[in-house]
Amino acid sequence: MIGIFSGAFAYLAPILLQAEPSFAKRFEPTLINFLMLSFLLFVVGVAGVLSRRNIIIIFMSIELILNAVNLNLIAFSRYLELNKDALTAKGLAVNPLSGPVFTIFIIVVAAAEAAVGLGIVIAMYRNRETVAIDEIDLLKW
Amino acid sequence: MQLHGWEAALFYVLAIMTLFMAVFVVTARVAVHSALFLISTLVNVALLFILLRAEFVAGVQILVYVGGVMVLFLFVIMLVQTRAEEEARVRLYTGQTWPAVIIALLLAMSFYFAMSPAQVAFRPPDTAAVATEPPDSSERATAGAGLNISKDTQEVGEQLYRQAALPFEVASLLLLVAMVGAVLLARGTKQEKLYD
Repeated sequence: MIGIFSGAFAYLAPILLQAEPSFAKRFEPTLINFLMLSFLLFVVGVAGVLSRRNIIIIFMSIELILNAVNLNLIAFSRYLELNKDALTAKGLAVNPLSGPVFTIFIIVVAAAEAAVGLGIVIAMYRNRETVAIDEIDLLKW
Repeated sequence: MQLHGWEAALFYVLAIMTLFMAVFVVTARVAVHSALFLISTLVNVALLFILLRAEFVAGVQILVYVGGVMVLFLFVIMLVQTRAEEEARVRLYTGQTWPAVIIALLLAMSFYFAMSPAQVAFRPPDTAAVATEPPDSSERATAGAGLNISKDTQEVGEQLYRQAALPFEVASLLLLVAMVGAVLLARGTKQEKLYD
């Protein structure tokens, strides 16, 4: 709950403070809104990884984090694509398509990670009869 | 990247849906519900990709995540979970809930203070450049709209096979290794005796 309210505050404060004359125009999403959304998704994932007890839900939170990163990459790619001419006129070399390419590789790595991780979960369940991470404490001292 | 009109409204709807579904993923009591909420989150993110004109990545997201990874998750939940009436009594969180909230708040603060000065810098730079060369950007927009077919898949494919051909092959090798590793990890003692 606190997280939701602080996230809403962090999201709305810069929008309400900026000096745009028309009120409706302030809410038109730009790059910063996508960055905010992906950041909030990331924070929700981090909170899930740190607080949940079921290891499968921790894996799902990791997928949330990876999705936040993907959203970030695609948003930057779109930004570069739309402003390519202005940015190349400034002397910057931009390649808007590297965003989707990186995203595809992240999806590949996430799929591999999920497969191996869930294999480990099954092997661990077979040995310890539990998926709660605070009961798997053999290496804890 | 200013979205106008219905696209702006759609962005807010999708963003709020994505965030609520993500929160439900983390807070759901039954793991299967968590997986279903995660599917909803992934579909919403795919729709956001379409809003950003990345149709190919959106398709890959649906196919790989919703079609592949989530089925894997559901199978593992089915293999591993205890019964539902036991889940009503089990403890959900480790004792780390307060550290998690504090870390999330610190992250939110740091992001806010990093981004509020950067808000001006992420303005589209063509607001200044449009005055010198106005026809260029509008011409590109109308050329894409006239065809009504997105070139996204074609361009991403070209990029993937030309510039990123070696990483592509390495990724296929990684998937092979992950597949063999998952099979090795998940086989039981009976299968081990059978094949040794």
